[in-house]
This record gives sequence, C-alpha cells and structure tokens, in this order.
Amino acid sequence: MYLLKKWSFLIISSAILLSTVSFISGCQSKYEDLDLTMYQYRDTKDLVKFVYDAALMLEKDGTKSLDYFCNNRNLFKTKDYYLYIYDVNGTNIYHAGMEHLEGKNLWDLTDKDGKKAVQLVIKALEDKNNPHAWVHYSWWEPGKFYPVPKSSCHLKVQTPDGKRLFVGGGLDYPHEEKEFIRIIVDGAVQLIEERGQKAFSDIADPLSQYGYRDVRVFAFRPDGEILISPVTGDNLSQIQLLECVDEVGHKPFEKALKELESKNSVWEVFMAKQRYQRKLIKKCLYLRKTVISGEEIYVGAITDLPYPV
Amino acid sequence: MAKKNKVSEYSVNQVPPAGHLFVSSIQHVLLMFVSLGFPVIFSSQIGGSTEFAANFIAFSMLAAGLGSIIQSVGLPFIGSGYLCPNVCGPSYFSLSLSAAWVGGIPLMRGMIIFAGLIEMALAPILEKMRKVFPTFIVGLVVAMVGVSVIKVSVASLFGVAFQGDAIRTTDIVIGMFSLMVMVLCNLWGKGFVKMYCLLIGMLSGWILAGILLPEYWYNLLTVKNIPMFALPTIGPEFKQITFDFKMIIPFTVIAISGSLKSFGNLLAAQKISEPDLKETNFVPIRKGLLADGFSTALAGLLGGMAVDTSSSNVGLAGATKVLSKWISVGAGVIFVILAFFPKLSTALSLMPKPVLGAAIIFAGCFMICIGLQQMFSEGWDPRKTFVVGISLFFGLSTAFLPGIYARAPHFIQIFFTDPLPTTAILSVILNQIFNLDVLLEKLKKKGCH
Repeated sequence: MYLLKKWSFLIISSAILLSTVSFISGCQSKYEDLDLTMYQYRDTKDLVKFVYDAALMLEKDGTKSLDYFCNNRNLFKTKDYYLYIYDVNGTNIYHAGMEHLEGKNLWDLTDKDGKKAVQLVIKALEDKNNPHAWVHYSWWEPGKFYPVPKSSCHLKVQTPDGKRLFVGGGLDYPHEEKEFIRIIVDGAVQLIEERGQKAFSDIADPLSQYGYRDVRVFAFRPDGEILISPVTGDNLSQIQLLECVDEVGHKPFEKALKELESKNSVWEVFMAKQRYQRKLIKKCLYLRKTVISGEEIYVGAITDLPYPV
Repeated sequence: MAKKNKVSEYSVNQVPPAGHLFVSSIQHVLLMFVSLGFPVIFSSQIGGSTEFAANFIAFSMLAAGLGSIIQSVGLPFIGSGYLCPNVCGPSYFSLSLSAAWVGGIPLMRGMIIFAGLIEMALAPILEKMRKVFPTFIVGLVVAMVGVSVIKVSVASLFGVAFQGDAIRTTDIVIGMFSLMVMVLCNLWGKGFVKMYCLLIGMLSGWILAGILLPEYWYNLLTVKNIPMFALPTIGPEFKQITFDFKMIIPFTVIAISGSLKSFGNLLAAQKISEPDLKETNFVPIRKGLLADGFSTALAGLLGGMAVDTSSSNVGLAGATKVLSKWISVGAGVIFVILAFFPKLSTALSLMPKPVLGAAIIFAGCFMICIGLQQMFSEGWDPRKTFVVGISLFFGLSTAFLPGIYARAPHFIQIFFTDPLPTTAILSVILNQIFNLDVLLEKLKKKGCH
C-alpha cells in the first residue's frame, strides 16, 4: 500500500500519457492530406496551412465566403503574411493586406526587378513540380516604403458556382527552403528535356521563375564547361566547377558528380561565408543529371541551409 | 534529520534501491536524449540514407552509454567515479561535419579518435597544472559550463529549431509550465517529488503539449513504422578509418575545448558529490578526463558522433541531490539497451522541444550557481576582478559578436570560438600575468635566502 502511494503519481501520469496517446492516435488531423514534410521552417508550413484553410472555405462556400473574408480581414493577415484571392485572368478579388488592390487587374504588374508576379503564379499553378505553386518576387509591406523579398504559395480553387480562382499568401522576408530550389531545378530539367538547347535562354533569364534573390539555376557539361553560369550573366568566364573548393577545402561538385554516377539527383552540403557577418554557414547544392542531344549534362542550384539556433 | 536525508538523497557511492535507481536513471536518460538531435542533423547534412542515420544514431548511443559507464563505475585507472554521464558532444559537431565532407565517415572517425587521444594526453597535464587553476578559476570554469547551455536551452524552450523561424506562444507556455513544475517540485516537494522533479516536470509538460498542440501526439504516430528491435549494421562507410594532417590543428583545438568543458563538468560533479573537500582533488578529475578522452576515441572507433560529459546531467544531480554514481551507470546501461530498440528511442526523442529546453535551464541554473559560489568562496582582490572581468568580456563576446571574430586574424579565430574555452584559457593566462609581481617577489626572497 505504501509503495503504491509512493509510486502513484508516476503510475497515474504514465496512465494518463498512454491513454492520451491512444486517444490521439485515433484522431485525424485536418491537414492529413497536406504534405508539408518537404519544408524545414515552421513559418513556411504555417503559411501553406493558412492558404490551404482559406482554399477549403472557398471551395465549400464559394463566393459567399468572400463576405466572411471581407468582414474578418484581421483573421486573414498577420505581421508576416496575408491572404489574397485572384481570378485566373489576374483580377484581384480579395486582398487582406492591401484593400485598395481589390477589383484591379494586376496581370501585367511588375516587381522592382521586372518580374510579372501574377503571370508567374499562373505558370506555377500549372507546374506539376511545384505542388504549392511557389513564386518568389519583391513586394512591399502595407504602409511601408521599401522593397521586401517575398515567397508566396498558391492553390487553385473551383467554387461550387463554377468560378476558377486562386488563393495565395506570401511570406515577407522568407526563409530559403531546400524545396524552393528542388522545384526550379526539376522544372529546368523538364524544360531542357522538352525543348533542348533552346531552353537555356529561358532558364538564364533573370525575370523567369528559375532565378530569385541570390539563387539561380545553372548547367554544365561533365568536363566542367559552363552552359549557364552560376555566377555571371554570360558564360565568357569559364569556372572549373569540379575543382572549386568551399571554405573548409571540400569539393562539392566533384563529390556530387561521383554520387550522380549511381543516382539521378543529389544534395551536397558545403560551407560558405554568410553575407553580413561573414561567419561560416552551411549551404547546399542540388544537382540533377539529364541528357541533351545524346549528351549528359548537369543542372543545379544553390541555396542556404537553415542555421540551427 | 539524518534519517530524512538518507531517505531522500543518495551519496556518490551509495547504491539506491532498484526502483529509485531505475527511475532516477530514466530521469537522466531523458535529459541525455536532448543530444540525440546532433547525429540526426549530422546524417541529414551529409546526405546519409535512412539506414545510415539509424546506424549512426545507434553507434552514437552505444558510445555515449559505454562512456557513461566507464566514467562512473569506478574502474581503478580510468573514470571519475562521479555521476557524470556522456552525451553526443555539440562542440565536435561542426568540425566532424567538415571532416565528413572532406573525407567521408572514415576521416571523421579517424579525426575523432585523434581528438580522443589528445584529450587522454591532456588529462595528466591538467592534473600537473593544478596550480594554474586556483579555486576562483575553477569556479569560473564551472559557471561558464552553465552559461554555455544558455543558447540551446532558451532556443529549445521557445520551441525554435532554426534561426529566424516562427515562435508559437503555446510553446512558450508549455516550456514555462514545465520549468515551473520542475522548480516548484524541487523547492516545495519532499522525498519522491523533490527527487523526481525533472521527470514530473517533463511528463506534465509533455501532457500539456499534447493537449494544447496535438501535433506533438501526431509526431508520435510516425514511430509506428519503425522496428521495435534492430541491430546496427556495419555499412561500407563504417569499415575504414583515415586521417588528414590538415585537420590536426582544428581537431587539437576542439579537443582542448572539449577537455576544458569536461574539466568544468567534473569539477562541478566533485563539488556537489564531495562538498566537504577543502581543495580540489585532481586525481578523480584526471581519471575523469582520461575516461572522457577514451569515450571520444571509442565513439570514433564505433563510428558514432564524438561524445562529451553532460553539463545538464551534473546540474540535475545537484538539483535533486541524488548523487549516486550508480545512476550514471544505470543511465549508461539504458542508453546502450535503447540503441537496439529504435522505436523506443525515436519515441523518446520526439519529446517537445520546450520541455527539453525547460529541463536544460533547470539543470543549468545549478551549474552557474555552483560555479559562482565556488568563485566567491575565498577572499577577493583587484587581481581576481580583472582576471574574471576581462576573461568574461572576451569570452562572452564570442557569443554576442560572432561577426567580429569572423573578420579577426586567423590565430584569434582559432582560440576565440566559444565562451567556455575562451574564458577558461584567458583566465589562466591573465592570472599568471597579473601575478608576475608576486612570482618575482617570491624569486627575490628565494635569492636572498
């Protein structure tokens, strides 16, 4: 009896824990159909869930739900992101952050670099490599006056009354997700496989979806000859990529190519200097092989890795 | 009073009853699980397969478990005989990763073995240098061990894994709730509640997390496809060991840092295990450092991550006053067993981060205060003020201003890496410099005689 009393707290706690686990394992999350495993940051996952929730509402209640969105704007904007809805012709139907844009057609609207954000969204929505239709561009925060980097995700919605819309939300000052470069590199490989060498100029175009912020898709031959440069706008200065070393003497390209002998794609981590503090940070290279006119080539991009606290 | 103490506390050589031994060991194992995040991140960053990750975690757990046993069981020539378990060492993380990128797992293994041997060689040197570690510097080093867990503990309490990521208010509530339960059970609880304050805090925090954020339970569902029992397999990457001369200097520096950290942990363990000691007994410290180096080399040999003594576990021992070395041995045995039960080890590693953060803060408080008490336990003078003050200024600046050291000359970059080693090395050097006049005086007197 004494022993039972002595250990009762632990026994009761364990019983509560086990029964709660059993109860929860029988429950279903409303996000069960939403795969977020490819994202590393909570901010990114939260944004996709936020847009997904709105898409479900719009899909269920159609344009009637717009009244709810309009009457509860504060629910659809946070200090990091807000919701917007467009029709497929580029007309803004709802904007939680910038009400003055509602009713305007923004098909040709460009960001500070000349990127046509709405047109890129329409392309992304058709891209099977891009399940959440990510688009990266420059924008601004409501009430502010300086450019802000932005990554937005979008979902297509067919309302019960037959309207074709898309719902989206953009993260201000987004994190660099590995998934973002996976999308653009896989997209570039697909384009090369469809169009051959003609695809190179589209991929190298800084206004295309294949480049954003410091990221750009590049391509090279097995002997190292550059087809699309990772660092310059033209290919005049050839870089010996296979010989390039990182800050700790590691040769990421050489190692990646060895691994590509038995795989179609590879992720390779390396160390580089951080832009502002110049301390060493981890970056990663995503590289894929493909064939053009019977010759094997490599297509890749580089991004930052999350920095553990 | 003596009887009461006997019921609620266990001294360093006392064997607790089986039930208490088991639950106390589990309490320490939960804290040791915090470090298993490192092999997980490591294998993802070198692009290792799922099979590699599973084997790597198992080998790391084996090394940490065996290291804990060797450290505490009380062998004749090796091990401190204090409650001071081993965990996967965060200090070796970045450098091990660099070695793995440059020369794969064989090079990482070789360099970890090298670092372990350096740590073993440092053990008798540190014992011989006992005069350069007066009590106030020993206290400073112990306090800095507590300071060194601030970053990881606070980030975990806020539920943040990566810099700049979103913070949920719910996570802060869960973390603060766990911390308060631990602290209040420790302050107001008696006997069982006081002894298992950390376990109670962790369990209640986990339950609250499940109620407030069901994703913590959904995470647990992921373990259903993991086998209950699995033997680690020795894949091709674990069959070779190589060395690289270019990596000798950085690994030597990190081995010195690791030794200093373990030095601080062992000093704290001695302080709480043998509070009546008037002066530091360097024999168990030397044997402890030897065990620490041996465990590190063993980790390299087994193919796991380098291991290190755990500050949090020493702090927990101080908090609960359950000091029996057999608990550390028990925790080591459980860790070794869990290495063969991936389902259980994965489930335990899914404990909510805010709860883990609360546990490290709880344990870290004791490390900081034990160190400060020791530091100010003897007379103070302006020399000590400048030794401690300047060492802290530069030591802490490595955490506050990492950008400055990124642009500093190379020789400064090598030594100014982290608050603990920087403060420890500077305090020893400055103490010698500021006492040169005393030394000269002594030499003069000797000359006169």
